[in-house]
Amino acid sequence: MSEASTGAAAIEGSKRALHRVLLHRRDSIGSAYHVLTFESEKAIAVGAGQFAMVRSETWGAAPLLPRPMSLLTGGHRPSILIKVVGEGTRRMAVASSGEPFLLLAPLGKPWAKVPDGARPVLVAGGVGVAPLLYLARALSEEGSGAKALALYGGRTAADLPLERELAAVSEVRVATEDGSRGTKGRVTALLEAALDEARVHNQAIKVYTCGPHGMMAAVAAMCASRGAPCEVSLETPMGCGYGVCLGCPVPRKAGGYLYACTEGPCIDAAAIAWGGEDAGALAGHGALAPKAGGQGS
Amino acid sequence: MSGVDLSVKVGSLELKNPILTASGTFGYALEYDDFFDVSELGGICTKGLSLLPRAGNKPDRIAETAAGMLNAIGLANVGVEAFCTEKLPRLRERKVTVIANIFATTIPDFVALAERVDREEGVAAVELNVSCPNVDKGGLEFGVDPAAAARVTEAVRKATRLPVWVKMSPEAGDLRGVGIACQEAGADALTAINTIRGLSIDVRTWRPRIANRTGGLSGPALKPIALRMVWELSRAVKIPVIGIGGIANAEDAVEFLLAGATAVQVGTASFADPLAAKKTLDGLAAYCAERGIAARDLIGKMVG
Repeated sequence: MSEASTGAAAIEGSKRALHRVLLHRRDSIGSAYHVLTFESEKAIAVGAGQFAMVRSETWGAAPLLPRPMSLLTGGHRPSILIKVVGEGTRRMAVASSGEPFLLLAPLGKPWAKVPDGARPVLVAGGVGVAPLLYLARALSEEGSGAKALALYGGRTAADLPLERELAAVSEVRVATEDGSRGTKGRVTALLEAALDEARVHNQAIKVYTCGPHGMMAAVAAMCASRGAPCEVSLETPMGCGYGVCLGCPVPRKAGGYLYACTEGPCIDAAAIAWGGEDAGALAGHGALAPKAGGQGS
Repeated sequence: MSGVDLSVKVGSLELKNPILTASGTFGYALEYDDFFDVSELGGICTKGLSLLPRAGNKPDRIAETAAGMLNAIGLANVGVEAFCTEKLPRLRERKVTVIANIFATTIPDFVALAERVDREEGVAAVELNVSCPNVDKGGLEFGVDPAAAARVTEAVRKATRLPVWVKMSPEAGDLRGVGIACQEAGADALTAINTIRGLSIDVRTWRPRIANRTGGLSGPALKPIALRMVWELSRAVKIPVIGIGGIANAEDAVEFLLAGATAVQVGTASFADPLAAKKTLDGLAAYCAERGIAARDLIGKMVG
């Protein structure tokens, strides 16, 4: 991951384009997670939190659609974190060095910058760590302000990919549902404690979160009730990733829908109708891979 | 590749080449500014336009299936007024050949839509969506019944100077009958085919994988069916047929031309690759150049 810094400081990213890249290396993390690192002739300037639509040229007519994946790194060595959950990620998980892929990138809105004086608190669930690790690295590289606090939750100790990499650039606290690592319980309990601490120390914070829908909804609700600003990286099925298929609607608090690919994925949690009548459909039953390779295929 | 004649005539409308993009898969074409110059294409069909903006269906709206996808977007669109005032002027500047795809639930609304786009410069034709499977009413029922399809076509024909294309549903029991009825009612061309309704179920949750339950199947899975229908339809009518259904590259486009299509639309392929239409065009030019033929020489030339 020595190339991690490449492009990390880029803001707003560059013009989106279709990049033909070769798989440089695939690193397995346990049985379910892999980091795919590509070789791109052209440097891809990525803003923290932006994503790519990823498809192998070897797939032919199936799987048909590219998979939305948060970028872990950009530049000449763009990389993604995947969790094997369906046919697309299963193929990615057995891809060999040299396999040609198409990367449509950079896509979507990056994370908003940390407000002056606020400490960034990153709340990650499993594979949702990807856009937050990018952010933590970018903040660490910038070197201004307080070190980010990262709260990282997973079902078991095996569901905390890239924890070490995260720890290199932030202060990490871990929770697992089965207690096999860190605090036993949910990551939202860690967030509650962090919000309490911040209040005691009169420290302004800004929460950034990415993970399963239920987790993000809980984080958003907790932040809203505590008056803490919160930004989420939306996880929905996506067809195209660039605003034409209209397959990634998310209920907007003001009514109607916003589209995760162009108005997100990074967006103020307060803009979303988390408990809306439509929200159930966002709870990870998506047929396609939610961005960041969470619960889909 | 200069010197290759790719131009085709769809009725009175001359297109610089037969490669178009399909409604609902190409936005309003402005989304492609980062990727390529869409004015190079024969034309673009807009997202289906309704009189008022539509928010579209609840999520989830799309699901991938074997070599295809289901969608039930619900015709989310900006509305014809916003299209005419915000999108069309920019398309005009770019000299894009624009086919306005319009959708309504009643004949008077179809007429109003046609009249609205007729008032604008820079619309080359209207395409009537009488075959959307994903809305409560007004979608399919016009498209599966020859008499109803003819009534819509005739009313719109009288309301506009623009060429009128009618988008056929594969769910019509008598596709040729619907096509002939539209022809008699004054249609200038037929677009075939729209998606066909499908279903996919999540075995973990036992729920349909899209909220609308059923959705329209598109992509390569649809291609042999679409090709057969274009072949049958083009032999049954005198007006041009525009082929659509799973076209992802030049070989697919050539197949549709050979089957009898005068032009083709690239659809779902644009999701996987925003340059799919452009690559299809370049591939067709190369195909014709190698053989020393014009694109129109392929139309309906299937042997046997």
